[in-house]
Amino acid sequence: MAWLTLFALLVRVHLTQRPFRTALTIVGVALGVAASVAVRTANIEVLHSFERAVVTVAGPTTLEVSGGDLGIDEQLITAVREVPGVASASPVLVQTAVRLDAAGQPGGALQVVGLDLLDEFERRGFRISQEGAQNPLEDLLRADSLYLGRKLATDWKAAKGNALSLQIGPRPVQARIAGVLQDQSDRVSSWDHLAIMDIAAAQVLFNMVGRLDRIDIITESGASVEAVAQAVRANVPPHLTVERPTSRTKQVEQMVRAFRLNLMVLSWVGLLVGMFLIYNTMAFSVAQRRREIGIYRAIGMTQSRVAGLFLLEAALFGLLGGIVGSLGGVVLAQKLIGLLSRIVSDLYVPLSQGDTSWADSAELMQAVFEGVAIGCLVSMIGAIAPSLDASRTATIRALAPGDYEVSRQVRVGAMAYGGIGLLVASGVLAWASPLGGVPVLGYLATFCLLGGLSCLAPGCVTGWWRQNLQRNRIPGVQGAMRDIAVEHAARNPGRNGVTVSALMVGLAIMIGVLIMVRSFRHTVELWINETIIADIVVAPSTWLREANGGSGTKSLPPIWRDRLAEIPGIAEVDTYRDVRVEVQGQRVAIVSRDLRLHARRSQYLVRQGNSTELLTQAVERGGIVVSEVLANRLGVQEGQSLELMTPQGARSFPVVAVFYDYATDGGKLVMDRGLYQSLWHDELVTVFPIYLQAGVEMEHIRQAIAGVLQQAQDQALPPLIISNAELRREILDIFDRTFLLTYVLEAIAVIIAMLGIVNTLVTSVLERRREFATLRAIGGSEGQIRQLVLWEAAYLGLVGIALGLIGGGLLSVLLIKVINKQSFGWTIQMILPFGALAQAVGFAAAATLVAGYFPARWAAQQPVVEGLREE
Amino acid sequence: MVQLVQLSKSYVRGETTVAALCDVSLDVGRGEFCAFVGPSGCGKSTLLGLVAGLDRQTSGDILLDGRKATTFTSHDWTVARREIIGIVFQAFHLVPGLTALENVSLPLLLRGESGGAVARRAEEVLEMVHMAHRRHHRPGELSGGEQQRVAIARALVHRPKLLLADEPTGNLDSHQGTEIMALIGSMTKAEGVTVLLVTHSQSAAQSADYVWTMQDGRLMSRTTPRALTGVA
Repeated sequence: MAWLTLFALLVRVHLTQRPFRTALTIVGVALGVAASVAVRTANIEVLHSFERAVVTVAGPTTLEVSGGDLGIDEQLITAVREVPGVASASPVLVQTAVRLDAAGQPGGALQVVGLDLLDEFERRGFRISQEGAQNPLEDLLRADSLYLGRKLATDWKAAKGNALSLQIGPRPVQARIAGVLQDQSDRVSSWDHLAIMDIAAAQVLFNMVGRLDRIDIITESGASVEAVAQAVRANVPPHLTVERPTSRTKQVEQMVRAFRLNLMVLSWVGLLVGMFLIYNTMAFSVAQRRREIGIYRAIGMTQSRVAGLFLLEAALFGLLGGIVGSLGGVVLAQKLIGLLSRIVSDLYVPLSQGDTSWADSAELMQAVFEGVAIGCLVSMIGAIAPSLDASRTATIRALAPGDYEVSRQVRVGAMAYGGIGLLVASGVLAWASPLGGVPVLGYLATFCLLGGLSCLAPGCVTGWWRQNLQRNRIPGVQGAMRDIAVEHAARNPGRNGVTVSALMVGLAIMIGVLIMVRSFRHTVELWINETIIADIVVAPSTWLREANGGSGTKSLPPIWRDRLAEIPGIAEVDTYRDVRVEVQGQRVAIVSRDLRLHARRSQYLVRQGNSTELLTQAVERGGIVVSEVLANRLGVQEGQSLELMTPQGARSFPVVAVFYDYATDGGKLVMDRGLYQSLWHDELVTVFPIYLQAGVEMEHIRQAIAGVLQQAQDQALPPLIISNAELRREILDIFDRTFLLTYVLEAIAVIIAMLGIVNTLVTSVLERRREFATLRAIGGSEGQIRQLVLWEAAYLGLVGIALGLIGGGLLSVLLIKVINKQSFGWTIQMILPFGALAQAVGFAAAATLVAGYFPARWAAQQPVVEGLREE
Repeated sequence: MVQLVQLSKSYVRGETTVAALCDVSLDVGRGEFCAFVGPSGCGKSTLLGLVAGLDRQTSGDILLDGRKATTFTSHDWTVARREIIGIVFQAFHLVPGLTALENVSLPLLLRGESGGAVARRAEEVLEMVHMAHRRHHRPGELSGGEQQRVAIARALVHRPKLLLADEPTGNLDSHQGTEIMALIGSMTKAEGVTVLLVTHSQSAAQSADYVWTMQDGRLMSRTTPRALTGVA
């Protein structure tokens, strides 16, 4: 109790003595915590939302029979019901429709679940309100009856009996809201964001008569779920999967793991830079309070209590920063969930964005608690070295007149050797293989790199820079001011080294990620230019929309091919089919197209050999071409073969070529349409790539296509007819959206680094009030004092930027060649974006000077007499 | 109370070894007031630093209240300073952000005492040094003399057996210096506290029972305060 009183007394004094610096440090920690909490919360929530939807809709289901995008024949349900151990088997359809507003324009996406409502009414845990229905049973089974989730009904201001205009594939349809859907217990649930229909009505609505997306099985109590699964597998076509519902969540989790991990690590950068800020603040605090520490020791405070005092103070920074940061992070997460859902939908699987009710729940408290814990932990780690330094204070020297710190210069040479050692370790670790598919050692190499450069920072502050500057002395008072500033900065390599390190880390990560993203974009642009050759693409109107799930809405009628081919000016029409299936437990895109046509007109960027020859070979040999990512993941190479589970059983396909592909993270394999159709019996087309004759006008053809397809459809909405340029732009938009978050997280890290510079300079000014007062007393002007501080800021900025450039360059190599390669499997061609680098350096330099300006102005305004009076 | 046996302390400065204290042996009894005088650099403060455990001797022994302090660990010395030693410094060394009352309470809090007893005892001692009316003022708001009174209160608040005073009047004018020495004398006599006073001021040494003169790290002679004035 006495110790708590004592600590509270001393910590209160320390925090209130320097309110500006206290606030600055807390803001720095808060920013780092906010970024980390926001990304972590959004990362978890995006998957939780998916998981909740899976679990809610699955209800008591123990096994699911699924055919991926291709769906399954509803006749199979009879065979499944006959398997011993199956208590019930229910048909399920899960499709996405787009709500059309009053003007017929597309609005939000709506996931519609088709269920056998009579059978499922009590089983799945939902309840529907049908007040006023004269014949509820008839109402339930009407072909246009749709039960809309409570949240959606509220958001769309839709009530029972209202008509709901939907777009399903190319067709506009009218549904009738027959009631409102909610959880049986009235609590918030995923049902609130869905719509359900009777299975027969849904099959008609989605043009999937006779087809199902899944069969949900409830096994008999006491029966082994695994044994039943085995038995069901033996009774259904081999390409279908029979898994527990939770395996879908696991699959998605596996798919987005690398993406989430990379995002998470990037969000920790703010914390890392925040750690430097804390180290800086505490190191200054120890230096300034050295005499005070001497007093505490002289009147009986033990070494451990001294260390504890500083650690507690840092923990308090962490606590306050953690509270502010986690609340900010929770707010930020709300925005981030939408963005992340969209990125995951763009790249991986369709996700609902509606269910973010977590903010009202205990998860909010958990997020705050975790944020506070992270803040405290990071702060205390950052404060360990200064606290130990404080505890080792030599009492008698601390109490003696003179500068204690002068005799305690950091061992610059030893640190530099340590830094070189870390850099070598980083290089060695970069060659190591990933552990469990995760580039753990790659991340470690990154930390060694940044740690190594941080250790070199004190040496750089004192080292050759200074000598170089002295050789190139600016004549006159400007030169003198610069030399005094540089001398002062160089006299304190320990603490200034930390400031330079913080700036270096922020900038290195900014530059490293910048080079990586620009190189990646450049590679994708090259890939687009080389492989996206078709002049026009005809696609379902929802093709480029997010959450475009459901096979019924993602395909076009195959007969359109002939209609399109007849249009004058069109040279050739390809048929491109893209379905997602499971290959060796991984969700993979199977693309089928006319490979001979593709060989003539376009190409794949193959790793070895000639695209045209290899594509022709693939047709002749019944082979496949595999994306680089999938080849790496499955461990196959050119010349080997890959076994796929087809509706006709397991088939082995020769891998004719491996190609670079940046369209999907999950991997892709391509085969000739003829081969695909012979095995999968799927006639549908996802998009029609169209090649025009030379010299024809694009817009003219586009209008002709629209006209022909209008006639081909009965009152259908026009499909998407996009030009090559528009498609390329769309792909790059998705790319840029994916990396938007990266830029935000980088900016946060750089802002924290800037706070470090302000912190250093303010403290430096505080320490040198007497020196400044003396300069003023002997004739120095306010402007010259300002210059002095600004020169110091510029010097620290210069060293930090130079190290940041080196660090950024090396980091980009690690990111591109090690972390990205091991995480996603993509080969990225490295480029140096000089313009963007110049901008980043210019931004850092300007930010450093802005950070230095306010302390400089403040220093110049300090009263001379008071400064001279200070001991 | 304090026994020094052939106590020596030397410092290494580059390639040179500087002897700050050479073979000092003495015995200061319980309740005695002993002053050390001598020119700057003669080893007075070094001697006090060693007795306080703030520094470590090169050779020799220190016996403190009958216990051999030579084997004391850093923690043992910390406990000794918390329990039986009080120190007054020339530069006062009050904690800047704390009020007079909080500064005086510090040693009690460090001993693990808490509650109203701490405040009552601190107020009582502040009353004794005539600073009760300034108890809520911070060091920056007090004069040098007032700061030293607060420092004396802090040094005696935990009822130490030994008070070490290192040039307590060094930063004060002669009038304030006389008052401070009178205060130290009266407060320690009443409680039977042993005092080791280091000073270069002969007038400050007048409160002592006897005076050791020092030169070049050695004890030269023991004399009375009166004799010291006579010599001067």
